[in-house]
Amino acid sequence: MKSVKLGTGLAFWGDSIRPAIEMVERADIDYLCCDHLAELTMSILSKQKSKNPDLGYTTDIIPFLRGVVVKCRERGIRIISNAGGANPESCGRQVVALCQELGLYGTKVAVVTGDDIMDRIDELLADGIALENIDTGRPLSDVRDRVTQANVYIGCEGIVEALEQGADIVICGRVTDAALYLGPMRHELGWAADDWAMLGAGTGIAHCVECGGQATGGLYSGGWQDMPRLPSLGYPVTTVFENGEAIMSKSPQTGGSVTVGTVSEQLVYEVLDPANYLTADSTADVSQIKLDQVGADQVRISNIGGKPAPATLKVNMGYRAGFVGEAQFTYTWPDAVKKAKAGLEFLAERLQQVGFSAEEERVEYIGVNSMWGPESVPDPDDAELPEVVVRYAARCMTKDDARKVFTESVPLYNNGPAGASGIGTRPPIKELFGIWPCMIPREFITQSVEITEVQP
Amino acid sequence: MSRVWDLAHGRSGDKGDVCNIGLIARSPEAYETLCREVTAERVKAHFGELIKGAVERYELPNIRALNFVCRGALNGGGTLSLRSDHLGKVMYTWLLRMEIGDV
Repeated sequence: MKSVKLGTGLAFWGDSIRPAIEMVERADIDYLCCDHLAELTMSILSKQKSKNPDLGYTTDIIPFLRGVVVKCRERGIRIISNAGGANPESCGRQVVALCQELGLYGTKVAVVTGDDIMDRIDELLADGIALENIDTGRPLSDVRDRVTQANVYIGCEGIVEALEQGADIVICGRVTDAALYLGPMRHELGWAADDWAMLGAGTGIAHCVECGGQATGGLYSGGWQDMPRLPSLGYPVTTVFENGEAIMSKSPQTGGSVTVGTVSEQLVYEVLDPANYLTADSTADVSQIKLDQVGADQVRISNIGGKPAPATLKVNMGYRAGFVGEAQFTYTWPDAVKKAKAGLEFLAERLQQVGFSAEEERVEYIGVNSMWGPESVPDPDDAELPEVVVRYAARCMTKDDARKVFTESVPLYNNGPAGASGIGTRPPIKELFGIWPCMIPREFITQSVEITEVQP
Repeated sequence: MSRVWDLAHGRSGDKGDVCNIGLIARSPEAYETLCREVTAERVKAHFGELIKGAVERYELPNIRALNFVCRGALNGGGTLSLRSDHLGKVMYTWLLRMEIGDV
């Protein structure tokens, strides 16, 4: 039976590159698949591109490739990455330059585009594509003048085409996470673009492995104490068979474990209706999935179903949504809780004195309810608490207002209630981007593939 | 009193303003109890005002897992949220603390 071996290289922008380096040295893989993009990432990258037209990709691709690409070329391992982000063309040029520097002549670098619809929004609206928010039903006009990027979650067809043309490294923008894996599966296993059963199976398998260490023992709540050598965690190495089943393992001589439990936790991560896991390439049904331990650190994944891909593709659109200002301070016994509340009142009055305005505010008590807030866990009221840490955050429409939050918290050091400490240093002001989820009929999107051969 | 934690482990994450919480039962018997006791209504009540929208429950019987899709649970979504846990990474741990009577 035909099969393909896929390694998970990176699971997000900023992820450790060591698992991939170890993988290309020790594991038997045909492809290294790397996901650099989360929901917010495209907004950050488009902001970078607007300041410098050469930027807008996840720059970690360069140190990453520096660590693995020579070995990959030696061993014939092909690399698939969505590091292109908001600027796949520029990313591709940087990758070509790196390969030149390393003397990897003849390497074929493919750039896949077609996901960016920012310049087409008005034309699409004129064509009757409403781009309304699928969660709220609101029209795009609510945020149109604040939109900074619009990218479609595109499927694997560009990756398949690039591989058919012999690409060694494929750089994409906002392809789906699953497509990074499904592309090589389709190319190697000969699955047709409408073989829904297999594409569904491949999508489900991709979901099991795309978050790297989360499937091999990282964050494992079912027994983190029993996970060996977490600081040397190995990432997934998965053999996918042409019948839509897979054996998931990890790099040899690494930490962590691959068990039914660790894979199960990843399987339920960021899934809505498991019988209808929608992606650009298929609608996967993982509701009846079977996981079986078939060896040490080896889990068989089977019984995933597939249905046709949806008629529409999801758009990841970001819009400017203000700035967040934050302050944090600590009060100590006696009456730590009372003092903390007085400190908050002090801050509120100081902010009022400087004409502060906020869209939304939030108070959390660190060590008590900072993870769930007062909506789920009551604020502290024990007078004997040795210390109470308060976090105050506000969402403001202007950077100036956001900056006031920390500035007006500083006088708590010597003007406010007794027993204050831990105010810390001024945090950077963070710009916020809202995500506007909407849909576009798939016939409006065409992918393009451009291949450059690295020359001396 | 038992807690969900006695019967299951879990994981949670974000998609926009939706937080999904997966629970994985420790045994076939534990899965039966979870299916009976941990209803969508009880989960919504347990989180109080933190979950603004509806909670839907889905079953994955072969891996003994339940998936709770909690809408309006992330203060506007990971990119806007003022919450320290803006991505809902530890929402599941509060569900593990839910009491479910003697089982």
